Amino acid sequence: METEHEPKGHEAASDDRVGFGFWVYLMTDLLMFTVLFACFAVLRNNTFGGPTGRELFSLPSALAETLILLTSSFTAGLGMLAARLGNKRQVLGWFGVTFLLGFVFLVLELKEFVTFVYDGNTWHSNASLSSFFTLVGTHGLHITFGLLWMGVTLAFIWKRGLDSHLVRKLTLLSLFWHFLDIVWIFIFTVVYLMAFLV
Amino acid sequence: MSNEVRIPKVGSHHGTVASYVIGFVLSLIFTLVPYYLLVHKTFGKNALIVTILVFAVLQMAVQMLFFLHLGREKKPRFNLAFLGSTVSIILLIIVGSLWIMSHLYHGMSAMNVTDKVVTDEAIYQVNGVQAGTCPGGTGKNYEVMMMDGRVTPDHIEAHVCDTLIIVNHDSPTRNIIYGSGNNTETYAGQPGPSIPRGQSAAISLTEPGTYTFHDKTLSTMSGAFTVTQK
Amino acid sequence: MKEFWLGRLSLHALPHEWFTIGGTIGFILMPLVALAILIRIKGWKWLWGEWLTSVDPKKIGIMYFIVAGFMLLRGGLDALMVWLQQALAPSTSVLGAAHGYLSSDHFQQIFTAHGNIMVFFVAMGFVFGLINYIVPLQIGARDLASPFLNTLGFWLYVGGVVMVNMFFGLGGEYAATGWLAVAPLSETQFSPGVGVDYWIWSLQISGIGTTLAGINFIMTILKMRAPGMTLWKMPLFTWGSLCSMLMVVAIFPLLTATLFLMFFDRYLGMHFFTTALGGNAMMYTNLIWMWGHPEVYVLVLPAFGVFSEVVATFSRKRIASYTSQVVGMLGVTLFALSVWLHHFFTMGAGGDVNAFFGVMTMVIAVPTSVLVFGWIATMHKGRIRFSVPMLWFLGFIGIFALGGISGVVLAVPPADFQLHNSLFLVAHFHSNVIGGVLFGIFAGINYWFPKIAGFRLNERIGKNAFWCWIVGFCLSFIPMYILGIMGATRRLDHYDASTGWQPFYIMMFIGGLVIAAGVALQIIQVIASFLQKRRLADLTGDPWDGRTLEWATSSPPPSYNLAAIPEVTTRDAFYEFKNQGGLPKTQYEDIRVPYNTASGIYIAGFAFATCFAFVWHIIWLVVVGILGIIVCVIARTFNDNIEYTLTAAEVEKIEEDRKKRTESQVLEDGEDMSVWEFMKIAIVWALGLIGFKRRVHGN
Repeated sequence: METEHEPKGHEAASDDRVGFGFWVYLMTDLLMFTVLFACFAVLRNNTFGGPTGRELFSLPSALAETLILLTSSFTAGLGMLAARLGNKRQVLGWFGVTFLLGFVFLVLELKEFVTFVYDGNTWHSNASLSSFFTLVGTHGLHITFGLLWMGVTLAFIWKRGLDSHLVRKLTLLSLFWHFLDIVWIFIFTVVYLMAFLV
Repeated sequence: MSNEVRIPKVGSHHGTVASYVIGFVLSLIFTLVPYYLLVHKTFGKNALIVTILVFAVLQMAVQMLFFLHLGREKKPRFNLAFLGSTVSIILLIIVGSLWIMSHLYHGMSAMNVTDKVVTDEAIYQVNGVQAGTCPGGTGKNYEVMMMDGRVTPDHIEAHVCDTLIIVNHDSPTRNIIYGSGNNTETYAGQPGPSIPRGQSAAISLTEPGTYTFHDKTLSTMSGAFTVTQK
Repeated sequence: MKEFWLGRLSLHALPHEWFTIGGTIGFILMPLVALAILIRIKGWKWLWGEWLTSVDPKKIGIMYFIVAGFMLLRGGLDALMVWLQQALAPSTSVLGAAHGYLSSDHFQQIFTAHGNIMVFFVAMGFVFGLINYIVPLQIGARDLASPFLNTLGFWLYVGGVVMVNMFFGLGGEYAATGWLAVAPLSETQFSPGVGVDYWIWSLQISGIGTTLAGINFIMTILKMRAPGMTLWKMPLFTWGSLCSMLMVVAIFPLLTATLFLMFFDRYLGMHFFTTALGGNAMMYTNLIWMWGHPEVYVLVLPAFGVFSEVVATFSRKRIASYTSQVVGMLGVTLFALSVWLHHFFTMGAGGDVNAFFGVMTMVIAVPTSVLVFGWIATMHKGRIRFSVPMLWFLGFIGIFALGGISGVVLAVPPADFQLHNSLFLVAHFHSNVIGGVLFGIFAGINYWFPKIAGFRLNERIGKNAFWCWIVGFCLSFIPMYILGIMGATRRLDHYDASTGWQPFYIMMFIGGLVIAAGVALQIIQVIASFLQKRRLADLTGDPWDGRTLEWATSSPPPSYNLAAIPEVTTRDAFYEFKNQGGLPKTQYEDIRVPYNTASGIYIAGFAFATCFAFVWHIIWLVVVGILGIIVCVIARTFNDNIEYTLTAAEVEKIEEDRKKRTESQVLEDGEDMSVWEFMKIAIVWALGLIGFKRRVHGN
């Protein structure tokens, strides 16, 4: 592995830049979700005679997904604290828990999707379901990529041990993970909770 | 295992276990409270909508403060500035879209014209709002035959949202006129149909009451239907 | 089995009409031949190692220019074809067309392609080329924040270019829906072919490249300025670029999302914008213009930045009010996001909504005017040199103002109800895009060419080209304004002769020919300048007596830009240094240089394959493409060995070598050659080729 020649200031500046750049990327991702939210807001009631969210969604299941994802965000934070202290075992532990919780979240979400599709409520059925599947599905896709990123990074940490580059990656990853939980807050509120109100 | 990990200044944070725990507990509260308020229908609809949105925003703020350590970077606070701008743009997009799209719906046509089209064609839904007087399609079909100068059966009892189908088994084209005279009366806004030989016409029974009809040329060839509310 | 491997591809997709055969030859085969010749002369290793895998923003900038220039030719040809069809339509019927020489469907594909190519691949390409090359030099940086993202963004852009040209060879149709492919016309029900799919993916792949580049430029400008250069001391071209890139990251995600929604409608049978099952086509119009309007400001803000530099330099004065310029640019950036509904006043949102957006549209004229008056104030009491960049600026003032005024007319909803989608609208936005964006690009290229190439461009031919453009523009677009008011709609492939419009259309076509002559002259200008390199050479690095840091380097700059980054204390930093007697003494230091990388090409290649697979429904290729992207991204991001060090001693040696070379060069004497002299040289050369052949075969 390459050893650092340049002064500390250079790498700190580089980390600052990359962190900022990743933050800007997260902002663009937020804007992309905004379009999906806007479409959902406009089209949510266009069920064309089909069942509405009120008839389809299970609030307890959505609450479970929310609590699981929230907890995974918390454990990711604890993992980051461990990373900053250079504690490889704790990093693998906490992020391992995060990975598992994220995986369970995905399973629950897929279960919901499969149930809908099995009952004939697919994304072809009407505009309301199209926008539901797209909004929630895109979030799920982001979670999937996050898990992939997490898995690869943890594998590298396990093999190579923690170093500053991998800690930087974990920092960006945990930013991504926290951000996904924040988006989920709004999905839970606007898609699931509001289905029973509008 | 490397212990010489330099603390990267990404996002500029100085998180502690305490901050994450506080953030987690607050987020839990801000998730469970709106959930229970909704499930137990504690307030009215509009109040609940505002409440759960407020809690969502609060939880976002909590997570940004305690998980993302926003606002603790050193100046210039670019991250915060970008977030603020993004949130403004998000509001612009969502509020703007909702405002524009709802106005577009209201501007689609004079409402009475929209209502008529919707009723006549039994359209189920416009812009997400259930419309028309016959939800979920139409009800039962009642068939009436015009044959050998007679209408069989000559009286039908039906409900609102059923359909009357008149079949012409006679040789000439039959022109249906509502009422007893030769005036062009209408039923549910439409004059009587003209039915060529071997064809049929469907009439949506959307208005209650008793109505008679007869053929234009052969006034003895007549029938009646009574439509009642379900 | 065949369907599994080839999806919907079949032999029928290969070109079999004059239109697609011509397009294949012109836009696929000819560039490939040019590339082959280049490789034959210079070698593949040179091309791959020096250029394609380069992460140097200067090299990437030049590559952007080349690709954008090529697309300018295609977009311009599209325009000429449109004008020719419209000029011929009432009286001719050839090549199997009912009117003119193009079928309706071909005509629609041509104007769609024209719009997409000009906006996405010409204007964005040139703008990114300029920003890549000049901004790091201006802020005293060595490179962009992420050299990898830079090359990746460029190759994704190239992927979009390839996709928008490849339909000639495979598929035979492009979208026939207008450049924004409004729903429901673009839905599968009404556009079942591959045309709209090519449209979606060419825009999507280059749009993602643009977003990445936007993030990269923002990181660079905000975090990599020279010590002492606060935001309020940055050069104005950098400010224009920053505002433009802020807008890019704000709006391109909207385009990405909307294109995905259209893709879902077409591929997965969803119902966002369909006519049935609850879809709302008006939502598409709403979303696409939320992107589409700020996009034009993305294009014009760097042009405003160019003009700020050019006016100051060629008036030999500093800019009249730096603060007003920055406030003007920021004002435009801010308001650009709140006017989008003016593109669909007539869709029926009603008086309240139309009034709000109409007012906001008019408001945006205010910061723009602040900029224009600022430039004019800079010229006042200046000692103006009417070099080619300054001429482009003066042309801009006239034409852009015309466009701006017609824009304010259109901003009034009742007026717009008459003029919406008429030729008046077309003339308005072309005045702004040609007068603003394109003239800004031309000014920038002429201004910075000496820095990039080491010799300046031929002034005489440059002026000839400028006048052709102005005369051609007036001949084309003033009749267009008039026709618009007379009631002519846009995108007409034929009309009745009794309307009396044909003479106007003929004049528009002739104007187009004059513009084409202008473009030809610009190409000749470049070639002629090459031929007179030694006469036009820039030996000092500062041919115009410039004011900003890019002029402190040699022409062209070394790969690391400046050997030592100076500390900046004022605006117009270089001008200040010159007044103080020169740059501070160079303290050589080690420089970290990024390695070249092919990962940008590989990732973009897999992305292109994925998009192609989506167009033709080849599922296995989609999977392979996505997996390829993931693997390449992991390989690149987990690779820690991406830079090497150029030691201070090596840097010093490079600098000394170059100084020796420049000192030994002598500027050749003489005038810039004229067009006629160039023609003579060209004819002699051509005859020489034939003569040479005759000598071989004859004797």
